[in-house]
Amino acid sequence: MTATLQSESGPRAAMPPGARRGTRRPRVGRFVVMSPGLLFLAALAIYPTIYSLVISLTKWRVTTGEAPEFIGLGNYGALLADPSFWNSVRVTLVFVAFSVLIEFLLAFGLALLFFRNFPGDKVMRALILMPMLVAPVVVGLLARFSLEPTFGVVNQLLRAVGLPTTEFLGSPALALPTLIAIDVWQWTPFLFLILLAAMQGLPEEVIEASKLDGASWPRIIWHQFLPLLKYAILVGVLLRLIDSFRVYDIVFMTTRGGPIDVTSTMSWQIYDVGFRSFTISYAAAYSWLLLILVLIVVNSLIRRMSVRE
Amino acid sequence: MPMRKRGAGRLATMAGVGLASIGLLGGCAAGAPQSSGDEKTLNAIFLPAAWGTVVKEQLAPQYEEETGVKVNVELIARDAIHEKMATLFAGQDSSYDIFNLDYNWIPEFGQGGHLVPLDDVIEDKGDFLPLSLDVATWDGELLGIPQTVHPAVLWYNSALYSDAETMAAYQEASGKELAPPVTMEEWMEQVRFFHGRDFNGQTLSGWAAQAAKGFGNVHTWLSFAFSYDCKPFNEDFTESTLSTPECIEATKQWAEMMQYMPAGANELTYDNVTAAAQQGTIATAIQWSWGQFATDDPATSQTVGQWEIAEMPAGPGGTSSGHLAEWVISVSKYSENVEEAKKFAAWLETKENDVFQAKNGAGDPVRASSYDAPELLDEVLPDSDVPRFRRLETTLKAMATAQPRPLFPGEEIWETTLSTELSAISLGERSVEDGLARADEAENRNLSQ
Repeated sequence: MTATLQSESGPRAAMPPGARRGTRRPRVGRFVVMSPGLLFLAALAIYPTIYSLVISLTKWRVTTGEAPEFIGLGNYGALLADPSFWNSVRVTLVFVAFSVLIEFLLAFGLALLFFRNFPGDKVMRALILMPMLVAPVVVGLLARFSLEPTFGVVNQLLRAVGLPTTEFLGSPALALPTLIAIDVWQWTPFLFLILLAAMQGLPEEVIEASKLDGASWPRIIWHQFLPLLKYAILVGVLLRLIDSFRVYDIVFMTTRGGPIDVTSTMSWQIYDVGFRSFTISYAAAYSWLLLILVLIVVNSLIRRMSVRE
Repeated sequence: MPMRKRGAGRLATMAGVGLASIGLLGGCAAGAPQSSGDEKTLNAIFLPAAWGTVVKEQLAPQYEEETGVKVNVELIARDAIHEKMATLFAGQDSSYDIFNLDYNWIPEFGQGGHLVPLDDVIEDKGDFLPLSLDVATWDGELLGIPQTVHPAVLWYNSALYSDAETMAAYQEASGKELAPPVTMEEWMEQVRFFHGRDFNGQTLSGWAAQAAKGFGNVHTWLSFAFSYDCKPFNEDFTESTLSTPECIEATKQWAEMMQYMPAGANELTYDNVTAAAQQGTIATAIQWSWGQFATDDPATSQTVGQWEIAEMPAGPGGTSSGHLAEWVISVSKYSENVEEAKKFAAWLETKENDVFQAKNGAGDPVRASSYDAPELLDEVLPDSDVPRFRRLETTLKAMATAQPRPLFPGEEIWETTLSTELSAISLGERSVEDGLARADEAENRNLSQ
């Protein structure tokens, strides 16, 4: 260690022959090298983001052929006074909260189960991961056919055991829980994968030491696993949170926001406003409010985790 | 290698990569109308319904053979066509020359000036059904050539209506002879009678119709609304008028009848209704006229030759008026081959091709003369004497009274907004009066934006 420090603070003559000095040139070079990537980023992310912000301050329906008209915060004001906006916020928050919470609990339980090897665990692990490999649109389509009241396989099974036909996607009480269940089925494996990988990286001696101290498994999980897995949980839950806020595909393929508006998530509403009525400016304002909501939720989660530390 | 040469080499490599990328991206670009030598190519988007398939698989190749003009036809779902048109038009993109349009988009794209007037390409306008042309016209200009019409009509299972046991039971229950209903009152009575009865080993539902949220429930509701003389808007589309006594009565009738639909009524789509008719699990239905074609297909239907159609049952004022569905063919203003595109659009709807499309199950004809065409009227179902096109006479009558969706540029938003409230009413979450008042409020908000 000392030797290293000495060599780092030693005379410049120690540099290998031909090596460049730390002048301004390499910095310029760095930017030159990075410029294609930066230009790419500017073209694909920064420009559209700024453009959508500008559009959100205008009144513009693309099919009219008329130019956008600047109206300031008019769209935001209209949105905040629009009952369908607040309904979509409520639906989105319920969807996100329940789906991510259930996915986390299931994934954590499954990861604990697979933490120690057992016969056939590799095959079962592969099977558990399979839903994650299916495109969400296909999952939505499968759900729609499977849950169809008359011909769907789920209702046929229910009837076979003497239970009544159930409108999973057509009932206002069941539609949102059904969508949550579909999301849980598809995305629990994702969290399971992250948590299992993190668990398998835990130092074995910590667990052994706790056992020697006479700690029970629940105590080990609570006092050792959870604190040590904190960052893996944070990453996994954050990714799922962000993804759940964007839920659109299964809504499109199953309920299209209905029945009534009980599954009308913010992403669905943005699509509806933007691509059915083509009021692009209103949809842009909607998107910005969704982004703000996501940032608030994600930030508060990160802060809570930091405070606990 | 000297520094300067290495730099020049790098520059040359980068330029090469850049040029190659431009070349590759150019190759990937959407196919604008091209002409290589004398060969012209048109690009078209059609609905993946029977009328789109017929154009893609039969008529476009035939046109190329006759004229040398190649027509690439892409089949794209309804919502996707609407999205594609709006985005392409916003960018004044010339990738596509011809579009298959649901007529309710004509005001929207007509107002934006995105479609080419087609008045000059139809020589015999008088032969077209007047309503079919009216709904394709905006601001005095014909912006779409009608390709297929299908008014909403009443379907009834003739096997059920001629079954001696059922007829006797109905006579006993109602004191009336069982015959296809002419009024809403009669229809309701029959629907109540049929619902839950067994026939041919199936438990029947009184009726079925599109009822899913989106556009399905609005389309069915419109046939009730029109037959009850309900007008959803004032004359100049500045005020929503859904809370009038006529609209309330129409909606009450529709909502009450929803109870006699099959399980999962609020999710029923056009295909679900057709499937139920094919399996014989419903007694009556409100469905497009041309859909009868599917029930006569022995490969999928157990009720071949059994379904008949009648005009929409009349409301209390004696009005019978089904909601009109129609698809038209339009030419993009941004096409680089407008004249060729217009020729092809007109050719698709010559008398001969109008009949050809109908004969191939591609919707009902748009020309009055096609309704007398022997090629259609003389055709019978295999191994029977039931005419395949037995629906044409009633369809023609229904076309005389049918009404279109409100023809104004905000129709898609209107439909979406109303659909939500109708969904709440049919699920019993809101009263008819409350639902329609909310719909009025939301529609007026849309109009003011």
